[in-house]
Amino acid sequence: MTKETKSGSPLIELKDCTKLFPATVALDQVSFTVYPGEVHALVGENGAGKSTLVKCISGEYIMNEGELTVEGEKINLKEYNVREAQNRHIGIVHQEFQLMPEMTGIENIYVGHYSKKGPFVDWKALEARAKKLFEFLGSDVNYNVPVKSLRTADKQIIQLARALALDAKTIIFDELTAVLPEADINNIYRIIDLLRENDIGIIYISHRLDEIFDICDRYTVLMDGKHVETGDVENLTKDRLIQLISGRELTKVYPPVPDSVTEEVFLELKNLSGKGFKNINLTANRGEVVGIAGLVGAGKTELLQALFGNNPVTSGEIYIDGKKTKTPTPQVAIKKGLGLIPDERRLLGLNRVFDVQKNATLASLDKFKIANVFMNQKQETAETEKVMDQLNLKYYSLKQNINTLSGGNQQKVVVGKWIIADTELYLMDEPTRGIDVGAKSEIYYLINDLVSRGKCVILVSPELEELLGLCHKIYVMYEGEICYETERADFSQEEIMTYLLGSGKIAH
Amino acid sequence: MSNSKQKSINSGLRLKTFLNDWMIVFLFIILFALSCLNPNFRTTTNIMNILRQASFVAIIAMGEFFVILVGHMDMSITSTINIVSIFFAGFVVNNGIPMGPAFLIVLFMSIFIGIINGLLVVYGKVPSFIATLVVMNILKGLSYIYSGGLPISGLPSSFGDLALGKLGVVPYALILMVAVAIILYIFSEHTAVGRSFYAVGGNSEASKLSGINIKFVIILAFVICAILSAIGALGLTSRTLSGNVTLGDNILFDVMTICVLGGTSLSGGKGRVVGVVIGTLFLQVISNIMVILGVNTYLQWVVKGLILIVVVLIDSRSKKE
Repeated sequence: MTKETKSGSPLIELKDCTKLFPATVALDQVSFTVYPGEVHALVGENGAGKSTLVKCISGEYIMNEGELTVEGEKINLKEYNVREAQNRHIGIVHQEFQLMPEMTGIENIYVGHYSKKGPFVDWKALEARAKKLFEFLGSDVNYNVPVKSLRTADKQIIQLARALALDAKTIIFDELTAVLPEADINNIYRIIDLLRENDIGIIYISHRLDEIFDICDRYTVLMDGKHVETGDVENLTKDRLIQLISGRELTKVYPPVPDSVTEEVFLELKNLSGKGFKNINLTANRGEVVGIAGLVGAGKTELLQALFGNNPVTSGEIYIDGKKTKTPTPQVAIKKGLGLIPDERRLLGLNRVFDVQKNATLASLDKFKIANVFMNQKQETAETEKVMDQLNLKYYSLKQNINTLSGGNQQKVVVGKWIIADTELYLMDEPTRGIDVGAKSEIYYLINDLVSRGKCVILVSPELEELLGLCHKIYVMYEGEICYETERADFSQEEIMTYLLGSGKIAH
Repeated sequence: MSNSKQKSINSGLRLKTFLNDWMIVFLFIILFALSCLNPNFRTTTNIMNILRQASFVAIIAMGEFFVILVGHMDMSITSTINIVSIFFAGFVVNNGIPMGPAFLIVLFMSIFIGIINGLLVVYGKVPSFIATLVVMNILKGLSYIYSGGLPISGLPSSFGDLALGKLGVVPYALILMVAVAIILYIFSEHTAVGRSFYAVGGNSEASKLSGINIKFVIILAFVICAILSAIGALGLTSRTLSGNVTLGDNILFDVMTICVLGGTSLSGGKGRVVGVVIGTLFLQVISNIMVILGVNTYLQWVVKGLILIVVVLIDSRSKKE
């Protein structure tokens, strides 16, 4: 990560870029430069304008004012589009997979650019090209099987290869590592280093601040569509970065863990097994935040889904409030006081056609009734308003569509849904995925508030820091089983990491 | 963002939503006003005629509306209409069953058809398009087997009152349609089950995780659709006092057009009963004015097709924004 990599003329030079949307100024005179051989972090809260900025570069959006220069050549914005950006060697790796699941790696990588022999695809030539590409990447991902059968990390490498196959000189990483376990992140880091050595310029968007310190050379912070600061990562501390992004201090991100754990056991699992997990023994008391740590595929989501009746349980026992019980469907689970905040907020948590109020009351329609038939919409509105204000939701009307809220505020509505439904046990599956530092902190305070009121929270998170900062007790899952359990007083990051990676289990 | 700026954005958004929601009403008023320029159109008899004809189509369209609302599609309504029409006439004319019991039998038949459609979709996980297409063909076969393809006429003339009777100048059919519309409006917008229809269409997985019984909701949608098709079928049958195996053959297209015209989203989760009623009137006025102007039937099909495609294009455009 030496300074001289920053030499040469810039690959991308964006000057005074302004992008307007019908209701907002998404970017306000932002300038941004990428040099060959540098990894340039683009950070800011959700809605700060990061995605809009890269979309202006990748040709998905056309800016209203400003200049774009690519490799020294000024772009005629009227003729600029995604195809043109590709021709000018700009590649993008999206967080959400834009791969065709039934097609193989090779087919995905070269789609639209197949080598041809007359009218036919020249598979041999393609195979040779792919081989060369993967040798360069030093990666052994199998590119001859349908990508749906690949692991998450490997899919991302295929996406990366696709960007490289188009001879990209600038690559935009849009939250690439947001869903990967540590080991795979290291592999990605290795590849990024390799690209840097080959004078490729990288724009790196991430919500995980540690990554910025791990691999980035320079950073640019955006806030509310405005440029805040650009500088060298070397001279930056994490505290200062958080301050730049949110105007908050680090110590305030995690609230103090309340002394709220009661003696009352709310949930107890005995030898619970099902699809994706086995022999789970776990207890959660009222007033307790119970964390579950584990890699992608460790069975955390499956366990939560099973408790919530959305994934079959094959054997074992569930006790709620001391009574042996079963939760075969979400309906039953909700009646027993459970509520799920799913990992895929947009797909599983929200109805994106609905407004705020209808989303918030979806799980408790039976609560607002006149004569047991008709909806009591006045009462519904009153209750929603009360809970949303309590959650400090930023909205202008309960009738506004849920899509018009930021990610953090959308998540508050999902949590609010269960508060309205009088939920006792909140099953939270990565509740802060893809939301910004400020909103994360608000969710953390919310979790504390819940347990302080005697509720119970089971928290699943890929970020260990989050679990360490919030939980009273942490269970570690590895390949479907709980391999470690630790109380707050004994928390040790190293110990948890060891078990998380499966090393703690190797007894022979 | 300053408060005043936020406010102006809000009112802007509200105006847009308002225009979207009421667009069809404005268009309808314009269309109606233009049509009234024609002296043959603006007679009370003609207007009542339009309303009478629209009534049964509207009832059927409201049924399809609920299926589209939950994100599915019912192709089988044409055959449901046919089989109800032919069996009802057969029961009454050939078997001498009184109309009341005969009505109950075809009602249960339609409920059964709805349940089969629903089960295939929910438990068989067959795409609704295919499931209902299959059911459509089976029903078609059954109704031809039963009747040999011939109409069964000779229903009692009192039955004709359903389509042709009037209370003063107001047709019974219109009263029936308004009653059905009011009940369905209250059901869809003021009951918890009604809300679940919108929820399932908007995001069935999220609805399931919010404790909504999505299987029940989807099956219920198909049952409502089949029942309303049956009621509409009896209305259409009463016009000619004869059961006919081709009675509903051309109706599916009109019904789809009506639903889309009325603001129902084909991907589910969005739409209103009121919109369906207005959509029906819209289409009926166009048909009527075309007849008055002497446009031939085949050209009318072309015009209706163009209307549907324009509306769908507008719908998909507005979604992109």
